[in-house]
Amino acid sequence: MTVEPALDARLAPRPDAAAKASGATLYAADLPAPEGLLEVVLVRSPHPRARVVRVSTAEAVAAPGVAAVVTAGDLPDALAGRRVRDMPLLARDVVRFSGEPVAAVLAGTRREAESAAALVEVDYDELPPVLGAERALEGRPGTVHDAPWEYPGAVAGEDAGPNVQSVVAEGDRAGVAEALGRAAHAVSAVYRTPSGQHGYLEPHAWVAVPLAGGRRLRLWGTTKSPYRLRDQIVACLGLDAGAVEIEPVPLGGDFGGKGDVVDASLCAALARHTGRPVRLLLRSAEDLAATDARHPSVIAVRLGCDGSGRFVGLEVDAVFDGGAYAAAKPIPSVNLHGALECALGYRFPVFSLRSRVAYTNTLPKGHMRAPGAPQVVFAVESAVDELAAAGGFEPADLRRRNLLHDGDADAYGHRWPEARGIQTLDAALAAAADAGDGSLAAVGTGVVGTGVAVYARPTPLPQSTSLQLGRLPDGRLEVAVPIPETGTGNHAVVQVQLASALGVAPDTVVVRQVSTGSLPRDPGVGGSRVTVGMSAAVARLAEAWREGGGQGTVSVEVPAGSGAPALAYCAQVARVAVDPETGELRVLAVVTAVDVADIVRPRSHQLQIDGGTVMGFGFASMEDLLEDEGQVWASNLGEFRIPSAADVPALRTVLVTGGRGVGEANVKSVGELANVPTAAAIANAVFDATGVRIRTLPVTAEHLWSALQERAAAAAGAGSLP
Amino acid sequence: MRLRFTLNGEPQELDASPTASLTEVLRSLGLTGTKEGCRIGVCGLCTVLVDDLPVSSCLFLAPCAEGRQVWTVEGLARRDPAVVAAFVEHEGMQCGICTPGQVVMASAARSELGAGAAEAEIREYLIGNLCRCTGYQSIVMALGSVVAG
Ligand code: FES
Ligand code: FES
Repeated sequence: MTVEPALDARLAPRPDAAAKASGATLYAADLPAPEGLLEVVLVRSPHPRARVVRVSTAEAVAAPGVAAVVTAGDLPDALAGRRVRDMPLLARDVVRFSGEPVAAVLAGTRREAESAAALVEVDYDELPPVLGAERALEGRPGTVHDAPWEYPGAVAGEDAGPNVQSVVAEGDRAGVAEALGRAAHAVSAVYRTPSGQHGYLEPHAWVAVPLAGGRRLRLWGTTKSPYRLRDQIVACLGLDAGAVEIEPVPLGGDFGGKGDVVDASLCAALARHTGRPVRLLLRSAEDLAATDARHPSVIAVRLGCDGSGRFVGLEVDAVFDGGAYAAAKPIPSVNLHGALECALGYRFPVFSLRSRVAYTNTLPKGHMRAPGAPQVVFAVESAVDELAAAGGFEPADLRRRNLLHDGDADAYGHRWPEARGIQTLDAALAAAADAGDGSLAAVGTGVVGTGVAVYARPTPLPQSTSLQLGRLPDGRLEVAVPIPETGTGNHAVVQVQLASALGVAPDTVVVRQVSTGSLPRDPGVGGSRVTVGMSAAVARLAEAWREGGGQGTVSVEVPAGSGAPALAYCAQVARVAVDPETGELRVLAVVTAVDVADIVRPRSHQLQIDGGTVMGFGFASMEDLLEDEGQVWASNLGEFRIPSAADVPALRTVLVTGGRGVGEANVKSVGELANVPTAAAIANAVFDATGVRIRTLPVTAEHLWSALQERAAAAAGAGSLP
Repeated sequence: MRLRFTLNGEPQELDASPTASLTEVLRSLGLTGTKEGCRIGVCGLCTVLVDDLPVSSCLFLAPCAEGRQVWTVEGLARRDPAVVAAFVEHEGMQCGICTPGQVVMASAARSELGAGAAEAEIREYLIGNLCRCTGYQSIVMALGSVVAG
C-alpha cells in the first residue's frame, strides 16, 4: 500500500519545535543529576605515542571532593569498538594518540574533579609516532598496534601488511591501465583532504547509573543508535544481554559523530567500579581534539576518455588516515562506504578502486556524513574537470556524455532502472543560468568562475526495526519509537506518516523515543535510512492498529526490506569570485539540484539540503583540524572554523520531482547528498575563474595565493624562454 | 560570595564562586535552556541578555551580574512568545541545541537591528551564533520576521 501524506500533515509544525525554541528540551547534559552523582574528568595523554611508565594518583585522591582516581588497572581489561574492538577504556601501558585517556578522576563536582585531574602525574616514555597514512602502511617508523589482526572483529589479516585497519579493493586494475593506455585523453592526479570534525555543537555527554549492585546499568547519553550501543557495551564489558538499558535522549546534532561506544562503555565501567552514578560531560575542546573525526585522505585518480568524450576507465586509489583506533567505524568492512560511491553515477567500461585505511598515532577517525564520499567525490569530480580541460570538452557536457541512463549498469555491474543524472545536472545548470533572481548574479571584486559536480548515492532498503502504538489518557495517539531525534526531523516524519496513514491530524499523534528495554530492535540513525525504514514500519503499524480496531496497544517488528534500492543524484553549481591579489575566495552561490521521489515532510527535506550544502562549503573552504606531528592544533571552535551565517553563499535548491523511490513512502534519501559534491564544484569554479587547479582542501586564501603566484611565475618563466 | 540580580524579572539571591561563569550559575538553577558549547565566546549556545544586551554567558563572570537584569531563553519565551512562534513557523532549527541562543538574539534584534534590517545585516548580527544543522536560511527568516514585527 502506498501512503500518501495529506498536504496539511506534511506542512504541520515540528512537534519538538516550541520546546526547543523556548529552552525546555532536555539534552543529555541538561538532565537532573541523580542522587550521589560523581562527575568524571579524564586525564589525557599529551603525547601521540608513548609508554606509560607510572601514573601517580596519590595527590589527586587526597584532593577535596575526590571519590576515586581510576586507571586501567582498576577496570576490566576490556576493549571497546563498534565493529573492531581495539580501544581500551583507559590506556594500559601505552598511549597511541595525543588526547587518549589515561586516568579518570571522579569527584562530587566538576570543578573538584578538574582541579584534582591536574594533580595526576603520569610519567611517559615517548616513542617516535607513526604519522601519515602512506608512511604508516610502509611500517614506518613502527607499528601502532603489535598485532591488530587479533582484535575482536578485525578485518585485516597479518598478511595485509603493517598498520592496516581495512582494505577494500574492487574492479580490474590491469584492465584500467590497459584502457587508459588506449585513451584519447587521460589524466592522473593526486588529491588531498584534511581531517575535520562533525561540528555538532553539543559535546558528548554520558550519565551511567548502576542498579542491583552494578549487575545492571541505565545510561543516558549522546547516542544515535541506542540498541547497537547497548549490545556493544554488553560485549565490551562481558555483561549479561539484559544488563544495559539506554534511555531516550534527543541529540544536539550528530552527522555521524554520535555513534561512539568508548566513552559510554567507560562510564558504564566507572559506575560499576564506584557503585555510584557517574557523569562525563566532555568539554567542547576535548570533544574536538579527542573524539572521532573525519578521515584525512590522499586519493590518486586516473581517468581517460575516447575522442568523443566517453569514459574508457577510472582508477581510484584512496589512502585514509584512520588514526590510532578503528573502534569508531560502524560497518562490517571497517572502511568508508562512501569511497565506493565514487563511480556510481557514470558509465565506466572498466573500473578499479582500492580504499586503504591505516592506523597512525593520531586522533581515531570515524564516520562523518556520507563517510568517504566528500573526499573521493572531490577527487573524482575534480579529475573529470581536468579531463574536460585536457580533451577540450565543456565540463558539464563531458558529464552528460557519461552519466547513467535508465537501465544502465554502474561500475559494479548493478543496473539502475531509474538514473536521472542528466536531468539533475541540467536542472542545476538551468537554475544557475537564471540570474534573474539576483542571488546568482555574480558580482564582486576579482575574477569570477562557475563549476559543477555530480554525486549519486543509493537509497538503501529498510532495515529491521520496531514500533509501538497506544492511546494517551487525553485521547491522543502515542507512538513509541526506538530512535532519538538527532535533529533531522525524524520524529516529525514519523508523525506525518502515521497521521496520514490513519487519517488523523498530526497534532493528535505524539512521537516518543523509548528506552532500549521497551522495544525489541532497531539499527539506529545512519546511512540515510531513517525515513525509508520508519515509513515501512509506520505502514505496518497503521495496518495493525486498524486491524485491532484502534484499541489497546499494538507493537510491530518489521524485518529488513526486500526489493530494489533507488539511485538519487545531486548536482551542484558553484559560483565563486577570487581576488587575484590576495587569493581570497568568495563562494557567491551554490545551486543544488536534487533527484527526488515523494517528499514526506518538505521542510525537513529542505533543511537537510541547506545544512548539507553549507557543510560541503565548510569542507571546501575552511574546515581543518590542522593535525600535525600527532597533535590537533585547531582544537576549539575558534580555530576549527565552521561556517557562520555571514560566511555562507546564497543557496538555491531545485527539486527534480517525479522519481521512483524506495518503500511504502516512495522516497529517495537526502541527508547525505548535498554535502558531497560541493567541494569539487567550488574547486572546479576556482579553476574556471583563475586557471589554477586546487587539489588540496581546504581552499584557503594562503593556499590559493601561493598557487596563483606559482602559476604567474611559471607563465613568466615560460614567456622568457627564447 | 553573595550575588543579587534580577533573573527573568524576579529578584534572585544566591551564593556563587567568584570565578563561576554566568552559564554555570544559570544552569545550576535549572535554567538549562542556556547551553554550554565552546566556552570561548564563539558558538553562541550560552547567549543571554544582561541589561537587554546579548552576552556570551560562558565568558561573563557571574559576579558581574550583580544588580543587573538577566534574561534567559526561558524567561524570554514567556515574555516574548512571538519570537518562539517565529522559530516554530519558519522552522529555524533542526537539532535545536543552538536554538535558545538564536531566540535570545532574535529577541534582542528588535531593538538592536530595527524593522528595516537587510538580510546581510541579519547574517552579520548572527555571526556569533553558530548552527551546524540548518544552513542558516530558516534562522535568518525567523529573525527577519521577528524584527519586521
Ligand atoms: S559556550 Fe559561550 S559562546 Fe560558546
Ligand atoms: S539546529 Fe542544530 S546546531 Fe543549530
